[in-house]
Amino acid sequence: MKADDVLTAHHDVLRGLLRDLAGTTDAQADRREELREEFLRQIEIHAQIEDEIFYPAVPDVSPLLSLAHAEHRQIDDQVATVLRTPVDHPQFVAEVRMLEATVRHHTMEEEQRMFPQSHALGDARLEELGRQLQDRQRELARSGGMRLLIRLKRATLRLTRA
Amino acid sequence: MTVRAVLERAVHAIERWQVLDAPGYQVEHGLSLTFLLAGRRARQLQDVLHGVWFGHPLHPALVTLPVGAWSAALLLDGLDATGRGGPGTGRAARTVVKLGVGGAVASAATGLTDWQHAHDEGRRVGLVHGALNSTALALYTWSLADRARGHAARARASAAAGYAITLTSAYLGGVLSYRYRLGTDHADRRNEPRRFTPVLDESDLVEGRPVAVDADGVPLVLVAGDAGVQAVGGICPHQGAPLGEGWLHQGELVCPWHGSRFSLDSGEPAQGPATAPLPCYETRTRDGRVEVRRRARWRTPTAVTTVEEASR
Repeated sequence: MKADDVLTAHHDVLRGLLRDLAGTTDAQADRREELREEFLRQIEIHAQIEDEIFYPAVPDVSPLLSLAHAEHRQIDDQVATVLRTPVDHPQFVAEVRMLEATVRHHTMEEEQRMFPQSHALGDARLEELGRQLQDRQRELARSGGMRLLIRLKRATLRLTRA
Repeated sequence: MTVRAVLERAVHAIERWQVLDAPGYQVEHGLSLTFLLAGRRARQLQDVLHGVWFGHPLHPALVTLPVGAWSAALLLDGLDATGRGGPGTGRAARTVVKLGVGGAVASAATGLTDWQHAHDEGRRVGLVHGALNSTALALYTWSLADRARGHAARARASAAAGYAITLTSAYLGGVLSYRYRLGTDHADRRNEPRRFTPVLDESDLVEGRPVAVDADGVPLVLVAGDAGVQAVGGICPHQGAPLGEGWLHQGELVCPWHGSRFSLDSGEPAQGPATAPLPCYETRTRDGRVEVRRRARWRTPTAVTTVEEASR
């Protein structure tokens, strides 16, 4: 699989999780916790594989790296807001929709602008990057370090909720 | 070679220094974490530091404090070293060095907060600017400690070195403002269109979804909602992002790049990093077409308001 296909597939996972989360009702507190948790895990993995493998490979063919970084930051800040908002809070869905819009904009910008630019790297290089991305993605999904990082982040956000 | 050519060459070297990107992003991640620890108030804190309450960035205003205080310190140190200052000169120098150190810490806080959102070349130059300023701050702190311990000559030497670094770094600060236009207003503030101009069929508007339109060459965003059709500038004042790609959150227009939020009624930034308001436009609907006109700031919407227009 080519790098852009790997990342687009992961974008679908991220967008799907947020769509499901925004579609939950106040009565589904457990489901909300579960989806929020899974989204946090997937977005951390996603940001990390892009930062480590994809972005360093494209600066010569895409001028959009700074924007991509800026958007990751905006997503990160909104993830923090969503994590700090109790799942039964009246603003919860509004904050999830804000996150959804942020993620939608970032992923569409990559899929419609940056990924086509990355084709200049050639199929062989994109295949190679795709393999690296998938390997790292699998590795991070199993990694204890990643689990710890997420737990730490969640705990920090809860502690500083006030 | 001219002075300008020498300086230009140095700045170009920094601009192209891509190895700075990785540490730059590390520093930003660190900042992001620090702000996370500030809890829910992190956003307000950043807005205070950006100068959202002030209307333009706070950083350039604050830096006059260390530069001014340390200039005074240089003069006092010179008088003291040559024995022309009279009694109390050393103590006065120490006081202004201290004032400069305090001002430098405040400048660093505002500068780092603004720098987080710089892109590419501006980001690299900003990182070097920050590193030089930190070095100068360290030298002045050391100088301050030496003054307390009575190492007068060494204290003056470290302060002088700090001053040279401060001036070099101030030049880079100028590059950030005047070349990369960090902190300047990027909104399109042409006084157009002066007459109601049709921009879009009303039926093309979807409630709550911003639409980018063009009014005689001026980029705008239209939003249909409870307050009718509202129109604001289509270019983010912060760094020129296309706001037509933005979205609404709690009735405010969100910038797709750095997350500034704008009131659709007043154009004011409800959340930074943008510090300047968006221009606002009047709207009306005629024969199913949405028409826009600039909001009159002076006499009437059609009045000639600038030298440029008057000379047409």
